[in-house]
Amino acid sequence: MVKAIKIALMGILLALPVYAIDGTQLLQQIDRNLSPESFESYRKIINIEPDGRKKEFTYYTVKKGRDKIAGLFLAPASEKGRSTLRLGDNMWFYIPNVGKPVRITSLQSVVGGIFNNADILSLDYAVEYNVEKVEEKSAEYLLHLKAKTKTVAYDRLKMWVEKEKILPVKIECMTEAGMLIKTLYFKEVKDFGGGIVRPAVLETDSPLYKGYKSVMIFAKIKKRDFKDEVFTLTFMPKMELLR
Amino acid sequence: MNRLRIFICLLIFTFLLSRFTFHSLLYAEEYKFDASEVEKKPYHIGGYLEFYPILFSFDKNAALYKLNFYNRNMGDTTKQYNGNLQLEGSLEKGISRLYVKTYTNHNNSYQGETTKTTIFEGYGSLKPSSSLIMEFGKKTLNWGKGYAWNPTAFLDRPKNPDDPELSREGYIVASMDYTKSFSGALKTFTFTPVLMPVYSGVNDDFGEVDHLNAASKFYFLFYDTDIDLMFLTGRSKTTRYGMDFSRNITTALEIHGEFSLINGYAQTSVDSNGNQFQRSYNAKNYLIGMRYLIKQDTTYIMEYYRNGTGFNSKEMRDYFSFIDKGYATYMKTDNTYQLNKTATLFQGPYGRINPATNYLYLRVSQKDPFDILYYTPAITLIANVDDKSFSLAPELTYTGITNLEIRLRTIFLVGQKGSEFGEKQNDYRIDLRIRYYF
Repeated sequence: MVKAIKIALMGILLALPVYAIDGTQLLQQIDRNLSPESFESYRKIINIEPDGRKKEFTYYTVKKGRDKIAGLFLAPASEKGRSTLRLGDNMWFYIPNVGKPVRITSLQSVVGGIFNNADILSLDYAVEYNVEKVEEKSAEYLLHLKAKTKTVAYDRLKMWVEKEKILPVKIECMTEAGMLIKTLYFKEVKDFGGGIVRPAVLETDSPLYKGYKSVMIFAKIKKRDFKDEVFTLTFMPKMELLR
Repeated sequence: MNRLRIFICLLIFTFLLSRFTFHSLLYAEEYKFDASEVEKKPYHIGGYLEFYPILFSFDKNAALYKLNFYNRNMGDTTKQYNGNLQLEGSLEKGISRLYVKTYTNHNNSYQGETTKTTIFEGYGSLKPSSSLIMEFGKKTLNWGKGYAWNPTAFLDRPKNPDDPELSREGYIVASMDYTKSFSGALKTFTFTPVLMPVYSGVNDDFGEVDHLNAASKFYFLFYDTDIDLMFLTGRSKTTRYGMDFSRNITTALEIHGEFSLINGYAQTSVDSNGNQFQRSYNAKNYLIGMRYLIKQDTTYIMEYYRNGTGFNSKEMRDYFSFIDKGYATYMKTDNTYQLNKTATLFQGPYGRINPATNYLYLRVSQKDPFDILYYTPAITLIANVDDKSFSLAPELTYTGITNLEIRLRTIFLVGQKGSEFGEKQNDYRIDLRIRYYF
């Protein structure tokens, strides 16, 4: 009897790794659920001040593969024609009046407000972060992520993920010392067609900007393939041709 | 004291205008994302309308004041009112696109009222594939990585470092961009050949007429660094070669640089007695700069520019001394011969935006100070390193109202007698720019 119990316990212990959560695979799944690897989409970015005043931007985005993303401002008129490009850790900003792309850094913000360039030109999480730990709760996972390199805007992320849909519901962005920089809230899961079901609204607030809020609303997300040459400095003034 | 009072009054005006006049209009708005907002049209018309008054304060002891106003009394200050309209239009059909940008300036100053419209750009482009773009017409090429200066911008009109982001008039060219992307250390390569005709009535202010000039730029994104190699040859200007680079070092720090070599640059200088000297040499120009953002959202842009075609401190001093002598002669004899000679030189090499050799540029801007969004105070220093003269420009920009941008700025010009900024005709200027985009 004792022998049988020992064998059963041994079997359970040996079987445990089979059920352990593979954090990296989970993160890759989250990335794919948020968007196809190559796609186009439209976003409205809204900065809201404590007294309710708002500033809105309309932004067209194209992405290819793991590390190529570009965007074009469509509105307001003061921003129209401005475009952004990210290739891995490299980021550029094109202003029609200036007439040439200039390098920007991930902590700057081309729209002001709480979203910085890393938020607007975000790559797949699995490209920039390693999963250090996964905590399993009743309805969600809590992922502890650590930036792969020093060039990533936030050193640590805590990501709450809804188990059923494998979609993030909240992300806390922190410095290396664990100081909270901002919190992202994923809201209003919507079917965009083509098998893309994801949150349509991304809200953020920050203890560094008390009372301020920034919101991203997603629309018309669809799979689309692009040539690599679309993601080059030469193409930045011509991005309107993609629409 | 007076200038301080004017500056403070305008500052308060800017703040009140932005905080209260439009606040109630915006507060009632609700946001929505309607699909019709992103519908694409085959044409686009836009631009901005600008009201741009300037108050100039004169430095009556400065050489350039004497040169420009030797025969009139201008008082202590003068006002200039500018109304500017920049219009942009484009039309797309298939692989082709037409683009036009015009700039109209209506100016009211002590010289009277003038209105002038300039076609800044107007060209057609063909894009047979995402790798290839061909363009023909008037356009700006904007070569170089520098923020305030671009010694490698061989085919562009010079930037004004006081307003480096302003649109400029282009030249008539035929150009092509061929781009190829790769995986590996070299991620992108672009080849840009350019042809530039210089004939009577076509680009005739570029250089010697009756020549077809050729230029090319080779761009590489290599090991996460932007690198350009370029040249210009033809007989309108002497042959010149250049290179530039730009790279992000950290999430908050970017560095950039430019170098150019101008073969056989011909420089005309003058001594304090008006004797002219000419020399020809290979001029080396370079620029090194950085853009740095600290955690408090303060951005620093710093550049050092070595202008190999510029004059040294003694040559600048001699020129100003020659103006002073010409002015003294005029006051005694009414003879303007010497002043006319200095005026001719001022229209040439001495009247360039930055005629000297060594410059430093520093701009510090603070986004949203004290957590007040959309206000950006900034201060800009442009210094002549050799004669220690400089311009210092504090400013406040407000962008919190959709499509409206308000900037209030003062530029102080400081320097000893005989120095570049000390001899400019103004002590300071105050300008207010209210720009509405549509």
